[in-house]
Amino acid sequence: MDGILHFQDGSTLDTSSFLLLAALLFAIGAAGVMIRRNPLVILICIELMLNAVNLTLITFARQLQNLEGQLFALMVMTVAAAEAVVGLAVLVDIFRVREVEDVDELSELKG
Amino acid sequence: MVAVVFWVAFIVALLGGISVVWQREPLKSVLSLVAVMIALSVIFLLLSAQFLFAVQVIVYAGAVMVLFLFVIALMGPAREGRSGRLRFQTGLSLLMVVVLAGLAWAMLSGVQYRAPQKGDLNLFGTVEQIAAGLFSTYLYPFEVTSILLLVAAIGAIYLSRRERE
Repeated sequence: MDGILHFQDGSTLDTSSFLLLAALLFAIGAAGVMIRRNPLVILICIELMLNAVNLTLITFARQLQNLEGQLFALMVMTVAAAEAVVGLAVLVDIFRVREVEDVDELSELKG
Repeated sequence: MVAVVFWVAFIVALLGGISVVWQREPLKSVLSLVAVMIALSVIFLLLSAQFLFAVQVIVYAGAVMVLFLFVIALMGPAREGRSGRLRFQTGLSLLMVVVLAGLAWAMLSGVQYRAPQKGDLNLFGTVEQIAAGLFSTYLYPFEVTSILLLVAAIGAIYLSRRERE
């Protein structure tokens, strides 16, 4: 199989261009997690990576015409929402005590 | 037409993603991420995932991003420190990302896809089909998900309550 997707208006697109976009977004998000220092921005970059993964799942669901990829993407969205809620609650808790400009400042648990 | 829409969404998502990392202010990063999510939702629609398109716009671009905006409003315009502790961290990160993207590209260029199952594309991804999957085969994960959301809500309330003993 060459993985070419046919659409209703007759146009075709390659599956790998969808997967390429997902891979690039995932790489950009990973770069953000490593480069940025504000903990809030790191959470935002994690959301970006999760969205890239969702795009991969939905692309393969369409290519295989199998709905399980879409169902799993729905689960990923739920888990991402839960992760954002708890992560932001922890952040608000930390920011109430002091201003954090760099996640490396939060190293009190280091032995 | 579909191809044009896809490539426009591709470029918007890519530029938005770069902007998320590039912007120095968290507020602009969040707004860029909203742009990425809207572009991705358009692509979901092209991939006949109508229900996930709606969920992406309402739950992700709507609820989760508004949550981020609320936290920024609570914390004020927090800026981040310019210099890191590890001197080569930015360069090494960029190198790793280039390697990651290169690996992905190498994998994608020679991939063999499995043949699709035979099905009606007009029905694929509709709310009806999603519900049929979610409430029959995947009922157990669906219920566990509701418990996860309950735990997250309780955790958020516990973490952000005001008084401490």
